[in-house]
Amino acid sequence: MNYPTKKLKSILAFSFMICFAFQSFAASWNVPEDQKTRNSYIKFDASTASQGEAIYNANCLSCHGDPGKGNNLKSLNPIPPELSSVGSQNLTDGELLYILNTGRAVMPSFKNSLSEEKMWHVISYLRGFNKNYVQTLSSFDPSKSKLVKLVANFDKAKNAFLIVAYANEKNGKKALVGSEVSLFVKRRFGNLQIDKTLKTDGSGQAEIVFPNDIPGNKTGELEVIVKLFDLNYGEVQTTSRLAIGVPTNKPGLNEQRAIWNVLEKAPYWILFLYSLGVISFLIFILYILNNLRKFRISGNK
Amino acid sequence: MSERINSEKITADLLRPIRLNKGFMVWMGVLSISLLVCLFAYFLQLRDGMIVTGLGDYVSWGMYISNFVFFVASSLIGMLISGVLSLLKQKWAAPLARIAEIIALAFAAVAGLVIVMDMGRPDRLLNVFIHGRIQSPILWDVTVITSYMIVSALFLYIPLIPDLKICAQKLTNIPPFARKIYEFLSLNWSDTPVQRELIRKSTRTIAILIIPIALAIHTVTSWLFANTSRAGWDSTIFGPYFVAGAFVAGTAAVIIAMFIFRKVYHLEEYITEFHFDKIGQLLVLVSLLYLYFNVNEYMVPAYKMKRADAFHIHELFVGSHALLFWITQLGGLIIPIILLILKPFRKPIPMLVISTMVLIGSWLKRYIIVIPTMEHPYLPVQNVPLKFSVYTPTLIEILVTIAPMIMVLLIITVLAKVIPIIPIHETIEHQQEIASKKK
Repeated sequence: MNYPTKKLKSILAFSFMICFAFQSFAASWNVPEDQKTRNSYIKFDASTASQGEAIYNANCLSCHGDPGKGNNLKSLNPIPPELSSVGSQNLTDGELLYILNTGRAVMPSFKNSLSEEKMWHVISYLRGFNKNYVQTLSSFDPSKSKLVKLVANFDKAKNAFLIVAYANEKNGKKALVGSEVSLFVKRRFGNLQIDKTLKTDGSGQAEIVFPNDIPGNKTGELEVIVKLFDLNYGEVQTTSRLAIGVPTNKPGLNEQRAIWNVLEKAPYWILFLYSLGVISFLIFILYILNNLRKFRISGNK
Repeated sequence: MSERINSEKITADLLRPIRLNKGFMVWMGVLSISLLVCLFAYFLQLRDGMIVTGLGDYVSWGMYISNFVFFVASSLIGMLISGVLSLLKQKWAAPLARIAEIIALAFAAVAGLVIVMDMGRPDRLLNVFIHGRIQSPILWDVTVITSYMIVSALFLYIPLIPDLKICAQKLTNIPPFARKIYEFLSLNWSDTPVQRELIRKSTRTIAILIIPIALAIHTVTSWLFANTSRAGWDSTIFGPYFVAGAFVAGTAAVIIAMFIFRKVYHLEEYITEFHFDKIGQLLVLVSLLYLYFNVNEYMVPAYKMKRADAFHIHELFVGSHALLFWITQLGGLIIPIILLILKPFRKPIPMLVISTMVLIGSWLKRYIIVIPTMEHPYLPVQNVPLKFSVYTPTLIEILVTIAPMIMVLLIITVLAKVIPIIPIHETIEHQQEIASKKK
């Protein structure tokens, strides 16, 4: 009897494939160990949870649905998990933060749009759906970020930003080594990252080459944002306005007479043609009505 | 003497339908009850919002807009028969002119309402006029349809003036107030040369004026689609394509009306088989014209197969809309052309059947023009339930779509009840002309 063996084999193969698929799916976040064990320095309470809820509703709800209600968007692939589920709640705080930071496939990265503090608020909100959750606070002191001095100087010759980061500790300046540095230019709908996120070198420095074709305002001014993240000192950012973009002086699309503009700024030729049409129509109608008037009068005689 | 008898017979024959009889009451009752049912559906739509329809973010123009285009199309026939044919001195069409005008006026009057039915917030209708942008084809459409309605009403009214006088004088069984209305509307018609000349001049002016306006209403309606860049609408021939299609729909509507009036009002002597034969030829002519535009409209994008067009055409020819598409093209256009070329089919009963096919095909054609394009936007439809992107009309929507059709029937029925649907004065004049030629 060859047949049942064959069938069994195919079932086994199929089950193996399914297991493998699940395995690869679960494992693919690949959260680094040091990230996994990170904890929040903010104590989770009702206030942080309610702040987190507002952020969740604006950024997460459309795909993940209301936690506990199972209305996550199941037509997506992979399906965005229901975040009050055991699977999601079993992740550590650090893993959740990592996922928010990096994103994957349809899950966007919030690294550039939410600060770490806001991400912790979201996690605080989600932990409210887990009765067994006990928070482990991080010993990190957020006020330490105030000690950090972040300097970004634009070097015209090299066309690059030289970024220097150090902390003003009691015992003198301490260069921030291995901190993440990223450079952004503010655009209308968000921040445009320039080059990759770099790590500061042994002297707390990083150099990011700046492209010379970014459109600025009339005088070529751009708003440049430098962000730094250090495991010990937290997040720091500085903003500066520099005339390093391409001067652009285009009149707004809604300033001239155009088809797409409001009625007051309609093109003359449309105003003319439309009025011409309406006026000629009215003249014809008046002519006809006058004929009818004459008609009536002539019948009276 | 025989002429006199003849004209009296004509007057009597053509005035006979103007009286309230049982058949009329029953028909009006049926129409009114059906209209009430449909208006209840509209009430539900007003109460609960557009969610009761199958419309959504992707297919936001559904049956209502198809219906609107169909209505505007059908109203164009007034221009073709009363305008173009009379200017071309096609005498045979004269007895059909008033039927065509009544149909035109009814469809044009209701077309605006069809748009209101498509509005989620009809209470904001006035904003179209207050904040309308002169750059938008929507405002042009509102303007030209209003103009066409006014011109159609005048075109119906002015040649009717002598007949209104005849109504006031010859109708015996009407209440005094109705007689007064006839009298008032006949504007002291006393058949003087001056008055004849004024009527002739005015009618001729309107016959000319109505041609650009009618072309404008359907061309502008086509621009509502063609002025976008969407696959299936982005076409330079949409204006004439729509106008040709409108002639097909309107001619079919007139044939159906001719048949029914002839039967119900016993007008066999006035609407003869000769008229059916002639208007059958007209239907073939306009259908061939429309077929030509159809070939153009599908051939050109199908040859180039640009990506979005290719997808659209594939859906129409062999995809999810293929059945409807081929029923429409074959049943509503190609088969009618083949049949009507043959003389035996240009008889009243076969023509009633064929015209009904054509008219249904004309409605479906508008559906085919509006909906498949809406289902295929340029940006990919993703991560939404299937029902968001595939349009299925609901029962309420179907009823609300039927409501304006009933209104058109009501308007036609009432108008055909209060005015002679075949011009009396003109028919008598025509007879006299023939008689004087014989002498």
